[in-house]
Amino acid sequence: MRIQTSEDLDSIRKKGLQKIQPGGIRIGVGTSSCGIAVGGMALYNLLDEIIQTKNLDISLVKTGCIGFCKEEPIVSVSIPGKALVLLRKVKPDDVERIISLALHGDVPSDRVLCTISDWDHITGNLVYGNEFDTFPEYGEIPFFAHQKKVILRDSGLINPEDIDEYIGIGGYFAAYKALTSMKPDAIIDEVKRSGLRGRGGAGFPAGLKWEITKKAPGEEKFIVCNADEGDPGAYMNRNEMESDPHMLLEGMLIGAYAMGVSEGLIYIRAEYPLAIERLMVALDQARTYGLLGKNIFNTGFDFDIRIATGAGAFVCGESTALAASIEGKTGRPRLRPPRLTEKGVFGKPTDLNNVETWCNVPVIIAKGALWYSSIGAKGNTGTKVFSLVGKVDNIGMVEVPLGTSLHSIIYDIGNGGALGKEVKAVQTGGPSGGCIPVRLFDTPVDFESLNQVGTMMGSGGLVVMDEDTNMVDIARYFINFASGESCGKCVPCREGLKHMLLILNRIVAGKGTRQDIELLRELAETVQKTSLCGLGQTAPNPVLTTMQYFKEEYDDLISPEA
Amino acid sequence: MSLFGSVNRMVTITINKNQYLAEEGEIFLLTALRLNIDIPHLCYEKALEPYGACRLCMVDVVTCGKTTMTPACTIKVHNGLEILTDTPEIIKHRRLLFELYLAEAPKSEVIREMAAKYGVTKTRFLKKIVHDDPLFGKCILCGLCVRVCNEIMGTSAINFINRGPYTVINTPFFEHNPDCAGCAACAQVCPTKAIVFEDSDAERIMQSWSGTAVPLATCSSCKKSYAPEKLMDKVLDKLDPAIIEELRTLCPECRRKYITRMEIGRIPRS
Repeated sequence: MRIQTSEDLDSIRKKGLQKIQPGGIRIGVGTSSCGIAVGGMALYNLLDEIIQTKNLDISLVKTGCIGFCKEEPIVSVSIPGKALVLLRKVKPDDVERIISLALHGDVPSDRVLCTISDWDHITGNLVYGNEFDTFPEYGEIPFFAHQKKVILRDSGLINPEDIDEYIGIGGYFAAYKALTSMKPDAIIDEVKRSGLRGRGGAGFPAGLKWEITKKAPGEEKFIVCNADEGDPGAYMNRNEMESDPHMLLEGMLIGAYAMGVSEGLIYIRAEYPLAIERLMVALDQARTYGLLGKNIFNTGFDFDIRIATGAGAFVCGESTALAASIEGKTGRPRLRPPRLTEKGVFGKPTDLNNVETWCNVPVIIAKGALWYSSIGAKGNTGTKVFSLVGKVDNIGMVEVPLGTSLHSIIYDIGNGGALGKEVKAVQTGGPSGGCIPVRLFDTPVDFESLNQVGTMMGSGGLVVMDEDTNMVDIARYFINFASGESCGKCVPCREGLKHMLLILNRIVAGKGTRQDIELLRELAETVQKTSLCGLGQTAPNPVLTTMQYFKEEYDDLISPEA
Repeated sequence: MSLFGSVNRMVTITINKNQYLAEEGEIFLLTALRLNIDIPHLCYEKALEPYGACRLCMVDVVTCGKTTMTPACTIKVHNGLEILTDTPEIIKHRRLLFELYLAEAPKSEVIREMAAKYGVTKTRFLKKIVHDDPLFGKCILCGLCVRVCNEIMGTSAINFINRGPYTVINTPFFEHNPDCAGCAACAQVCPTKAIVFEDSDAERIMQSWSGTAVPLATCSSCKKSYAPEKLMDKVLDKLDPAIIEELRTLCPECRRKYITRMEIGRIPRS
């Protein structure tokens, strides 16, 4: 059926709620890439087999990822009237037990991570129940307690392959509100007032970019979602798309209407097959309901989204290289200006935003700019999702208000170093970012503060290093990555990074000299200043920051006689 | 309007604190070169869009007291434009870039001469040595050959292969490419004279491009070969009005003779 009126939407909402809280037992298995990697799919299949053969009245669904990667596979058990229980590190041997206990209104207590008695989906509220109060509540788990879930509000709780569940917790209501009761300019104004800044790394005000695209001359325009997440250690966007794909589609729909664009593209890396699959399912479902296609909500507005897959080049996250790749050309950046908003995909004005930027849009429209701008810090509103990885105890997907200190993320949420080791530094912003030493962990995580300490926000990878990590080796790793991903167009990036790598190899092998260190610094500065695109301009950051903060580690590798 | 089309407005610009008159909209690199201000450059070619890959022509654009390093080939002249072309910072980066070029194309005399002007006579970086390099250790991957083949000739016989530090330029799969018209525009635009070809009696061999052989057209009158067949076809097809049938198979020399004879009435006009 096509959703045209608010009544239509509401009837689907009821249907969706019925699926999330079916009045019987519901078991959800975390089957994002992270969950699948540790056996989530095998658990799902086992559960399914038992439920089918015994013909049990249990609803079994695949859910996305709740974010606590360390505890995966996570299984959620919902028994009517009782709190939703998250089970951690579930093994195939536990499956029989989970089912038999659930049928008796119980859960295996040795597997319980925490309980959720009610959940604020922001666009809707779900109440589960209060029983199981001997187990810790969600808010009592330090990993969760210090987070604020806005983007990840549905992740791990709804079935990402079922649009009804997304609508069930209030999804697409913001799009309905925007398309049927708001003028396009009012939407842009709302996004501007929310203070939302691009989550791809540079932090350009999203509303302003929308306005520039809207005002650009030309009939045909595009909006593009940049899902070419390629930083080593970063998987926020993958998780967002795998766990809640409709949030992205709804954000793009609202943006398209605001900018008066009828064609959307999601540029996603081919290395994300599950995200692509779930997006495809989501697109089909949205089209079936008439949320994409012609005459959406009976407003006369047409919009559809196509998926363009990348061929695995990191540089294609750069806007002009991304546009070239979509056009079927080699992914090589070109000179800017003209910017994409002026001359983008196929030469048409194009608005390019990161996955997470789009994902912020539905809540901004649903709850208003004032609500949104109350989260985070001045000039850095809203939350940011980080993938907290490396040598940290609690590995996972973390969402905090911008302005939260690194200390809070790494110690309060991450519980410090893994295996009781001392944390030494954290690397933000992937190969474009830098390493921040532990003495600067008071730095608030916002666009400006990170720049001041020589690194950048990037898309949101936080790689923690402990006392055993050699920082020169870390710098070498990132230069190796950047050199391998350089497109080869301009000489500082193509040749400069190659020689930086050769020098670092020498130093790490204990064959470096004092002159090598000086040459490395000189070269790093030239590569930074003279490269054509962001890849080359930022690639020396890991070297420059480790040289600044961990100079002694370089010195230690220089033999005294050299 | 002049005889040669519209002339743009003359505006005042400042280069290295001196004021000059320049044509609005002109590429700043060309303005500077015309004014005898030396800016090294390798990847700019008038017939093509600015590409900005060689990074040698980077200069400082001064706006409100702040400077931004920008390639001179991408700056368009406008009134009040202020540029610094030789600050110590720019010279420092240029010298290092020259060292990178000397390592990348150790056999290129052009690079050596350009670098020497900046006092760079040797490189601290490991020199790239490729055995049987079809471009003889002279290619700096500026991409002019690729772009002229693709954008001007519409042939795309050669392109970049691999990426990053492994990038090379050649024909697909390093095989003879029948698409090559043998025009040698690539060799013509190559700033380091890296591309080599040779004409024999009947063929042009593009030695740098996997030995691609292109048959040469033979003049129907003097029987000498004069230009690649495919190139002649391409050019003759583009002529409008078309040239008369009798001239199609003649070399330029014999064509002149033929036309002259026609003019003085020795050959009847067709």
